[in-house]
Amino acid sequence: MNLSPDQTIMFEAWGLPVNATIFYTWVVMILLTVGSMLITRNLRPDVPPNRWRTTLEVVVQGIQSQINEVARGSSRYLLYYAGTLFLFVATSNLLLVVPGFEPPTSSLSTTTGLAISVLIAVPLFGITSRGIGGYLKTYVQPSFIMLPFNIISEFSRGISLAIRLYGNIMSGAVIAAILLSVAPFFFPVVMDVLGLLTGMIQAYIFAILATVYISSAIAPTPQPQKETP
Amino acid sequence: MSIDWITVLAQIANFLVLVWLLKRFLYRPILDGIDAREAEISNRMNEAVEAKDKAAAVEADYHDKLRALNLSQSEISETIRKSAEDQRDALLAEAAQQMKAERENWQAHLGDEAHKFTTHLHRVGAETLLSLTRKALTDLADETLEERMARHLVQQIKPMVEDLKKAAGDATVATVVSHDALPVPVQKILKAEILALCPNATVTFKTDSAQVPGLMFRLGGAQIAWTLDSYIEGLESLMEDRLNTSAGPKVVTDAS
Repeated sequence: MNLSPDQTIMFEAWGLPVNATIFYTWVVMILLTVGSMLITRNLRPDVPPNRWRTTLEVVVQGIQSQINEVARGSSRYLLYYAGTLFLFVATSNLLLVVPGFEPPTSSLSTTTGLAISVLIAVPLFGITSRGIGGYLKTYVQPSFIMLPFNIISEFSRGISLAIRLYGNIMSGAVIAAILLSVAPFFFPVVMDVLGLLTGMIQAYIFAILATVYISSAIAPTPQPQKETP
Repeated sequence: MSIDWITVLAQIANFLVLVWLLKRFLYRPILDGIDAREAEISNRMNEAVEAKDKAAAVEADYHDKLRALNLSQSEISETIRKSAEDQRDALLAEAAQQMKAERENWQAHLGDEAHKFTTHLHRVGAETLLSLTRKALTDLADETLEERMARHLVQQIKPMVEDLKKAAGDATVATVVSHDALPVPVQKILKAEILALCPNATVTFKTDSAQVPGLMFRLGGAQIAWTLDSYIEGLESLMEDRLNTSAGPKVVTDAS
């Protein structure tokens, strides 16, 4: 029993082996891209929105509102990044119910890659927002003594992100596989339903944590003054 | 649990590609669509606000015009009422003037009729009086009226003959004027009497239909006359007295 889809070679292209993680990642990418293209192909102001477009608008606006709650006044690039994280992880986890599909998020390589991308995105968004000097100052806040702890904190965030997502999804998939071999009629269905729930939760947690990390790096925007009685 | 670093790099690359793809085919169209719709809604809201403002302005303008129209109507009504009153006053004044003029015309006509009646009464009274007098003289005294008039005229001339001569100066023509031609015997009597009083006079007889019955003696510029005028006036006053006393209502009381 392979615990990771990295070990499953699907095919070779130009002499390079393509494992299940990459293959199913491409499947998810194709699904998301083609679905988006199909829904948004006739998007014109004079055409009233259909139900699919409305669904996508609800999803995008939901992500936008969640990001705005965490990082008020954030740019659209954060929406592109965190939204893609959520959609990729959520779609990968939802496809767990498809027989034979192995979610890429059950691979530690995928979650590590996503965590590394978060580790790279945090300073990039921070430098874009504060400038390089302003961003580096955050490492010596509140005092210079905190520099090693802040650096360790940065890396521990990435590791925790990767391990959390990988552990939850991989464990769900493994438990479902074990139960399928032991009791193939009832428990796998229950576990798949539970896997869908935990998959969505994990996607939300991963995206929202990434947003929190990035928003902590970018400059805080002034809050509107509330009227005091 | 192991990490395939090639897969890690591939997944990072895949993720970045997916970010670009979703940005190209999902986020940008959806967000642009939402922005366009929000802008359209905002434009429509602005247009609605402008339309509402325009409607409010039109409503205010309508109310102003309505107020001005009401004011104008009341002014026109007042003007028409004043004009009608003026016209009524003018018509009443014109009618009063017409009535006054008609009343004056009627009074003048009445006066003319009264004058005509009086003239006619004079003429008829004179003729009647003359006829009655002539008949009475003929029946009672076997004399003619003209003869009596001639003798009466001579009786009037006698005490005044000297005054007549002085007034006549050098004139010697004595003229006797009557309404109708005098009978020849009467003319002879008159001529003889006049020549007895004025021996140098030349006596002539003339008729004047406009003269009241009677005789008029003229010597040069002086003249003396006896006519029925005074009698007719006396008759007229007498008839008026009698008519007035007889025309009033009489209350008849039963003595028994």
